[in-house]
Amino acid sequence: MIHLENVSKIYPNGTEALKNISIDIENGEFVFIVGSSGAGKSTFLKLLMREEKATFGKIKVNGHDLMKIKKRRIPYLRRTMGIVFQDFRLISKMNIYDNVAFAMRVVGTPEKAIKKRVRYVLELVGLKGKEKRKPNEISGGEQQRVALARALVNQPEIIIADEPTGNIDPERSYEIMKMLVEINKRGTTVIVVTHEHDLVEEFGGRVLHINDGEITEDKFVKTKYHEAPISLNDSELEFDFGDDQTAAENDTNKEEAEEE
Amino acid sequence: MKFSSTGYLIKEGFKNIWSNRMMSLASVVVLVSCLLITGAASLISLNVSTLISTIGEDNEITVYLKYELSDIDSMKVGPQIQKIDNVSACEYYSKDAAIKEYEEKLGPIYDSMQGDDNPLVNAYKVQLNDLSEYKTTVKQIKKINGVESVSDRSDIARKLTKLNYFVTLVGSWVVLILGIVTLFIISNTIKMTMYSRRYEISIMKSVGATNAFIRIPFVIEAMIIGLLSGLISSGLIIALYNPIRDSAAGIVPLIGQSALTVEQIWLNTLLMMSGVGVLIGIVGGFISISKYLKGGK
Repeated sequence: MIHLENVSKIYPNGTEALKNISIDIENGEFVFIVGSSGAGKSTFLKLLMREEKATFGKIKVNGHDLMKIKKRRIPYLRRTMGIVFQDFRLISKMNIYDNVAFAMRVVGTPEKAIKKRVRYVLELVGLKGKEKRKPNEISGGEQQRVALARALVNQPEIIIADEPTGNIDPERSYEIMKMLVEINKRGTTVIVVTHEHDLVEEFGGRVLHINDGEITEDKFVKTKYHEAPISLNDSELEFDFGDDQTAAENDTNKEEAEEE
Repeated sequence: MKFSSTGYLIKEGFKNIWSNRMMSLASVVVLVSCLLITGAASLISLNVSTLISTIGEDNEITVYLKYELSDIDSMKVGPQIQKIDNVSACEYYSKDAAIKEYEEKLGPIYDSMQGDDNPLVNAYKVQLNDLSEYKTTVKQIKKINGVESVSDRSDIARKLTKLNYFVTLVGSWVVLILGIVTLFIISNTIKMTMYSRRYEISIMKSVGATNAFIRIPFVIEAMIIGLLSGLISSGLIIALYNPIRDSAAGIVPLIGQSALTVEQIWLNTLLMMSGVGVLIGIVGGFISISKYLKGGK
């Protein structure tokens, strides 16, 4: 699913953000990426999203070769992943429903399917009944849940959460993390970037330490949420998104096929 | 991008206009000014051309006789003129009739110039069959005894042709420069709109929006600004055309006869200016958003 081989990233100003990294992340894994600020965590995520291109090495994400991918194909790569940011990145003038629906409109899903699917996902993250509220009318934790719903709504293969708990209180942080674990249990690969060691100890899973642009540790932390490293069979689990979800996914695939 | 997104994207374009209403209004005002000047330059050029062709179509010349020629001798010149092949009609125009006409037009100042004191000369108004033979015919007329000179409208036509060339040249430059200015204004508006919505654009990109999906609402916004400006400026031109035409005709009566009427120009003005507005909108919007997206990640 994610394959990095001898990947380095050197920025134009000469900063070597990542140094010769090689790593594989399988389907259905729950991965924490930890490290101090400036260690290279953000660059790692930017490479996965193809916001930046690696200077050397090979990167493959969800079947896309990110060293060869054409610019016009990048949106289709991003549709295979859901991104959750520390600052939520919600559109303030849109209500909660539209913030989530927006991600489906972008991929051209029909309005009828959007309605059904968004309601389902909002219920899943515990925001049923708050559809009409604007982001500034709900708490930080709820805003992050909206962001999570938006990331989930197109049934991505990977969820990437960049410091998802950085802007919310500890209690809400646990809620968000539990949701991510739940999403992972249903088959979606989850990558969480954090510097909060408490969360890593509590939720466990695969933990990658990035330090000064290098992966200095790759270990499995056993907890009640993650008792053993993922096996291939586990990764074949599917998250039940309902019938309309399948339709949305089919639409996306069809559009990609048309594009080609 | 899918067909199902079209309605949503058009709606977004209209929403953008409202969200950036002050910026949109400022753009419309500047664009209207530019389009007004462009439209006025085009209409002036068009009217000068019409005026020239009106003069060209008027193939009547005046043959002035010598001052000392008596009325009887003057009458004898007419049949000689009539004999020339290219002359279709020849009408005697006496100096008495001429002074009377001046008197009617300009008042009693010519009272003292009646009879023997009349400073004018007898003349013939001559219609030509073929204006291209004008020079040969004039030469033939000038050879007739008693003919002093022949009025030459081609002088005016030549001057007007020069004027038309000048107006067309200046007009073309005005249209070109203002075209670039309007393009710049509209692309700047879109650039500012994009800048104010860069956060939203980055979110769109992160959820997998294609460039086409991001671009369309902005192009629609620019198109609407262009269309609105085109409609307003053509409306203003149509409303102001007749008063300006009448004032100009008051100064130069020939304009009153030859200038196009508002009925003749309103539809073309409306279609042309709205079309130009929309075109500038599409091009301007497209250029700025493409530049922005090319620069982004």
